[in-house]
Amino acid sequence: MYRYDEFDHQLVADRVAQFRGQVERRVAGEITEDAFKPLRLMNGVYLQLHAYMLRVAIPYGTLSSKQMHKLADIARKYDRGYGHFTTRQNIQYNWPALDRIPDLLEELAEVEMHAIQTSGNCIRNVTSDQYAAAIAGEVEDPRIISEIIRQWSTFHPEFTYLPRKFKIAVTGHDNDRAAIKLHDIGLVVKKNDAGDIGYEVHVGGGQGRTPFIAKKMADFVPKESLLAYLEAVMRVYNMLGRRDNSYKARIKILVHETGEAEMRRLIEEEFAKVDASKMLAVPQEEIERISAYFAAPAFETLPAESAGFEAAKAEDADFARWVRANLVAHKQDGYGIVNISLKPIGGVPGDATDVQMDAVAELAAQYSFDEVRVTHEQNLVLPHVKLDDVKAVYDVLATQGLATANLGLISDAIACPGLDYCNLANARSIPLAQEISERFADLDRQYDIGELKVKISGCINACGHHHVGHIGILGVDKKGTEFYQISLGGAADENASIGQITGRAFTEETIVDAIETVVTTYTDERQDGERFIDTFNRIGMQPFKERLYAE
Amino acid sequence: MPSEYHLIIDGQTADESWVYVDDEAALSDAPSIVSLARLKAEADSLRARNGKLGVVLAADGEGKTSLGEDVHELAPYLDMLSLVSLRFPIYRNGRGYSAARILREQLGFTGELRASGEVLYDQLAMMARCGINGFEIAADISLETFQTALGELTGAYQPAADKQRGALWARHAK
Repeated sequence: MYRYDEFDHQLVADRVAQFRGQVERRVAGEITEDAFKPLRLMNGVYLQLHAYMLRVAIPYGTLSSKQMHKLADIARKYDRGYGHFTTRQNIQYNWPALDRIPDLLEELAEVEMHAIQTSGNCIRNVTSDQYAAAIAGEVEDPRIISEIIRQWSTFHPEFTYLPRKFKIAVTGHDNDRAAIKLHDIGLVVKKNDAGDIGYEVHVGGGQGRTPFIAKKMADFVPKESLLAYLEAVMRVYNMLGRRDNSYKARIKILVHETGEAEMRRLIEEEFAKVDASKMLAVPQEEIERISAYFAAPAFETLPAESAGFEAAKAEDADFARWVRANLVAHKQDGYGIVNISLKPIGGVPGDATDVQMDAVAELAAQYSFDEVRVTHEQNLVLPHVKLDDVKAVYDVLATQGLATANLGLISDAIACPGLDYCNLANARSIPLAQEISERFADLDRQYDIGELKVKISGCINACGHHHVGHIGILGVDKKGTEFYQISLGGAADENASIGQITGRAFTEETIVDAIETVVTTYTDERQDGERFIDTFNRIGMQPFKERLYAE
Repeated sequence: MPSEYHLIIDGQTADESWVYVDDEAALSDAPSIVSLARLKAEADSLRARNGKLGVVLAADGEGKTSLGEDVHELAPYLDMLSLVSLRFPIYRNGRGYSAARILREQLGFTGELRASGEVLYDQLAMMARCGINGFEIAADISLETFQTALGELTGAYQPAADKQRGALWARHAK
């Protein structure tokens, strides 16, 4: 993992002191709420329905056990004993008091964490693949360039007051687990024929009320030119992005209104100017310094199969079920990638208590080279666990209510905070996620249904990613009553697509039945081995519509 | 611009020696700041004029779809200009930061680059990093306060239009 040097420590400490001053000036009435708002936002502080909310950055979703313990401490000390992991690999605390936030940030800084640029119209926390450096077939650990981007984008003087927020995601693998095509900029690490590392660049993806899949702007930007390319994209956006209407201010709208070809020309013209000076070419020594932090852990040489692991599966059907859903093959023989579902049946998607966070931290320290990952699907990962140890890990998870065997299944839904917390929402998301997971609680049935990504947003801002759910659900408000619209066929992976709306919305009372109808339509229609998304792509919307709206 | 402002230029309190001149008003030989439209329309006569010339780049008004004037349009006239005033219509409109860097780093402008409009404490350091060296700021922001604002962060991660190289480079400075 990346470790701060004196420079990183100093800047984060400066930032905490700066924010403390801003809070003091606000409390003393020296700055207006309007002028304070972007300052608190750029330090992760939102004003929610009931209270201030603090969003803490987890760069590219990687945590050490020490950091995870600190997140647990903060949940205990400043919040109500829990935190919420988000779709951008961050953690949110829902109840901190504004005047204590500077102290909280000081504590975070002790473990090399911060809340910088987790909100506001700036470059947000960089996200990446939760299986980085653990999955086979990766071109390069995407966290190396993610860390470089984190540094370059932090307190960027030119890009702190953009037309709108700006999100960058990176994958080092052809199977995209970071939803890079739904980001303002999505990067895919590539290796060219000469063996050099570079980046495929996608620009202008996003969700919200006008969803777009990003356009591929460059096939291969060489490593040494990437920051120049990013700066060119950002400058074109900052100069030409609309500021008259916040709904039309994201770069996706600029790309759409300008046209892909013209946008590419503008970016390349600016890129040529920025790249000419080589001012943004990161020195090789610095790339090596950062890469060294992401060197592979000291894996043992082990056989591919573990007798103890196989025996445990044979003896314990619940364990075997959990392994089937939640354990992913590791690139190193004898190891596995353990997914920890934060979607217990009937629970709040993405929430973890302080005790659970401490337990995961201890498991990471003991069994996973001190690393935890956070996923954009709001789960946690222990990336490097010996197969011999998987049962021991499972046993601890089970005692903590963290052994739900539903990764990628229908009850592993993404849901935004919704009307329970958010002042933008039209409808509740969390209770609906809970009802769906209770309806499909039977794990064998879920496993039979197979991979099915349900994503629920409480309003058109799409924080719950409903546009890219295999089944997407959008809360809408009609004359003060909550309704839910269904869309089908969305995907956030390398075959990203925007779902299609089925038709008229469903009431709170009928929505779960409607989801069940969609699922049974699929199971009736599917052919051998087809996942939900495959069947939908083959048969289209009509069969689903007929069943959903049959008189 | 705020009606009550004072000037800080190159880190020092300075007296205002410039006047913003309306498009219809006659120009004297005093240092004068004109609009981009006037600069373009009267370039030949302005070039022949005695006295220093500046231009103000207008930003968009709130709620209008136009983005504001384009800094690239200044390129043919830079040899005539001693000052460019970038108008920040509201502190959260950050288009002027890019305009400043383009002027300094791509167009090679070396005259006074001034921030006008809504120029608040918490944006001063970023403006300075983008190459702005003149600030029209509220009278209650003293020179001392201004210097505090510029020093809140003791370093930078990335290069911009100032002398800082950024940590990614500075860690290995030879």
